Amino acid sequence: MDLFLQTLVNGLIQSGTYALASSGLALAVGVLHIVNFAHGEFLMVGAFTAYWLSLLVGVDPLVSLVPAGALLFVASGGIYRFSVRHVLLAPELNALLLTFGIAITLQNLAVLAFGATPRVVHTAYQITTLSLGPISVGVAPLITLVVSVAVLSGMYAVLYRTGVGKSIRAVAQNRTGAYLVGLDVDRIYLLTFGLASALAAVAGAMVLVRIGASPHMGFAFVLKAFAIIVMAGLGNLTGVLWASLILATGEAFVRTYVPGGGGWAEAVFFLLIFGTLVWRSWRQA
Amino acid sequence: MRWIALAGLGAALLVPWMPAGGYQQYVVQVATFVLINAAVALAWDIQARTGQLSLAPAAFFGLGAYAYTMAALRGVPLWLAFALGPVASAAVSLVLGVITLRLQGLYFAIATLAFAEVVKVIFKELPVDLTGGAVGLTAPPLLGGHQTGLYYLGLAVLLVTIGASLAVRQTRLHYAFTAIRQGELTARVLGVRVVQVKLFAFVLSAFLIGLVGAYATSRLFFVIPDDTFGIGISVSALATAIFGGVYTTAGPVLGALILRTLEEGLHIVLRQGYLVVYGVILMVVILYLPGGLVGLLTRRRGRDAAAGD
Amino acid sequence: MLLQATDLSKRFGGLAAVSRMDFHLEAGEILAIIGPNGAGKTTVLNLLSGVLPADEGRITLDGRDITHLPPETRCHLGLGRAFQVVRPFLEMTVRDNVMVGALFGGRQRPLAEARARTEEVLALTGLAGRADVLARDLNLLEDKRLEMARAIATSPRVLLLDEVMAGLLPHEADQALALIRAVRDTGVAVLFIEHVMRVVRDLADRVIVMDFGEKIAEGRYEEVTANPRVVEAYLGVEDAADA
Repeated sequence: MDLFLQTLVNGLIQSGTYALASSGLALAVGVLHIVNFAHGEFLMVGAFTAYWLSLLVGVDPLVSLVPAGALLFVASGGIYRFSVRHVLLAPELNALLLTFGIAITLQNLAVLAFGATPRVVHTAYQITTLSLGPISVGVAPLITLVVSVAVLSGMYAVLYRTGVGKSIRAVAQNRTGAYLVGLDVDRIYLLTFGLASALAAVAGAMVLVRIGASPHMGFAFVLKAFAIIVMAGLGNLTGVLWASLILATGEAFVRTYVPGGGGWAEAVFFLLIFGTLVWRSWRQA
Repeated sequence: MRWIALAGLGAALLVPWMPAGGYQQYVVQVATFVLINAAVALAWDIQARTGQLSLAPAAFFGLGAYAYTMAALRGVPLWLAFALGPVASAAVSLVLGVITLRLQGLYFAIATLAFAEVVKVIFKELPVDLTGGAVGLTAPPLLGGHQTGLYYLGLAVLLVTIGASLAVRQTRLHYAFTAIRQGELTARVLGVRVVQVKLFAFVLSAFLIGLVGAYATSRLFFVIPDDTFGIGISVSALATAIFGGVYTTAGPVLGALILRTLEEGLHIVLRQGYLVVYGVILMVVILYLPGGLVGLLTRRRGRDAAAGD
Repeated sequence: MLLQATDLSKRFGGLAAVSRMDFHLEAGEILAIIGPNGAGKTTVLNLLSGVLPADEGRITLDGRDITHLPPETRCHLGLGRAFQVVRPFLEMTVRDNVMVGALFGGRQRPLAEARARTEEVLALTGLAGRADVLARDLNLLEDKRLEMARAIATSPRVLLLDEVMAGLLPHEADQALALIRAVRDTGVAVLFIEHVMRVVRDLADRVIVMDFGEKIAEGRYEEVTANPRVVEAYLGVEDAADA
């Protein structure tokens, strides 16, 4: 029973990071209607930014999520300006291929710059654990969960309580309509893309603390993020929270209870993506 | 165009005989990889003509490679094991094709990507005595590992793929594929048997990729899940085809020639991370060169209206 | 009876787009379906060609039940369709567009025969001079001609046309009219949806009027236009330019 609860808690905590990583992607897909394959690499850049800041400037990695987010917000704005914007109206495959290209470029640039070995940070709270009865929770994971919840709440507040958020939602629902009522669609796209990328960067900082940073980390995360948003239904932001919870706990249980479970846990995500997509396609008949 | 193709074939035939001193082996090796890349890219392109972006080439390549290796290691005569590669890929692709029939564009791409990753994990996690696990298996080389013979076998495989690509272009299949790509519903109303044609394209493509996979084991020496089913294979295939000129036969071949040579050159300088070239090229082509190299070349020579697409 | 629809119905959620339609088309006949916007006319064509599945009812072509057959099979059996909002294969030439119809419609023609058929149809529809132009570079009139040419190339026995006159100038409409007559003279039965009353009057052997998904009148042009119920359905919608 204890193992069961521990696994559940592990999953719960992990779901925070997944939700953070996926919400950004869900935002990009839901508003710009493109699949940003480079989302995982933005996460990776965020992780490395936090890493270097903590190494060079001594800033705690969790604090540097702010500059990491800001950096990605600006950088991705540039990326949007000079490339993504041009494929928004083209066949959707073009956007897919373009962001794929961006992802591969970023990933390999990171390999060139940093080498393929993973980097880790060392902070005091990484080794501390709290005990709540029979369950032990690492302080670091707990903090990341809290931060994730805080950041996501902030995102929701912006989307549903501010004028900008309303504009974003309008553009997501009806691009032409929004344009016709005078909204600057291009600027909103720019903003949203930046926001989505900043979220990825923050998630990256979280992952840095919990695991570390490596140039190839982005790929695994972007696939998981896809699994989550596909399960939630494209463009469904609240669904992302539920899907993250389900998938994270599912992964935790496979890891704990399936012998040699680590490897199969990877397959769980992909099987879920595949299964959900196929099932939905036949149901729509 | 005919002359260029013939000249290219001539050059290809002469590669093992070109004087390159101590680098002879290396040149043949690089040339073989060019053949492999070109063939996979061509096969991907065939299927892409129906408008579906498949990220499953890695799966079919790996299946072909593993089918050959596993059969050969169990005593199956090499030529039979070699034939098993494409057959296994084709069989799996038929099932996958039927399941994913209703998926379009983006969803189809993601589903095929997920499928490829699942296959990779399966081969990694299955019992070691069955598939070699994460460490992989050593593949018995075809033709006893004879370098020159292997090169010509690879050339033969490429020629088969080129033949398939040309056949699709010169027959009624060209119209069917293109119509489906540009308007699936309209094609149906005009009588195109869309389901059959799409499945045919998918299976043919997988068959060819499996063939290349089975062949490539002799060049790569062993099969190992992370590499043999690696997403790099799919990325390379589509980047090569798109760079060279998608929906053409010359495009993927030209693309492979340039890209693989570039990659080898970069690999010498940069031990890792040379894939960055593929990423940049993909970006540049999508933004500025939609017709790829072939598009660039044909535009300069003036539009050839009779070429159709 | 070449084409017959019995009890044809289609609902979209709570909306009955087509409701218990009964009608038929004889060989060599030109039948017009008219009615105010939203009456369900295009939906009927979608049901006939198999683009949409019917909720209820039966469709037979030459005695054969085609209600549950996919669009491509219906085409093989002789049903041709031109869309209201034209759907050319943009990156193909005019000739190649028509080739698709010639190759895969009706009988599966071999390449050489399809080429001959294509040239034939291009000449018939006046597109021979534009055969090598990409479909994306055509003007509206040529677009519509291509749409029809493609459908005609499938050698249909029944041709379904959806508002082909929309947007055409009077002399262009005359040309289209002549083309449809020429097609009928080759033995093809035509079912067309139209708003331009002049064309309906000059072309149709018989007219069906639809309103809110139901057939409210059937007969010759003079009969149905005199029908008070028809006039009532059209009130305020009729195009003042035709009369």
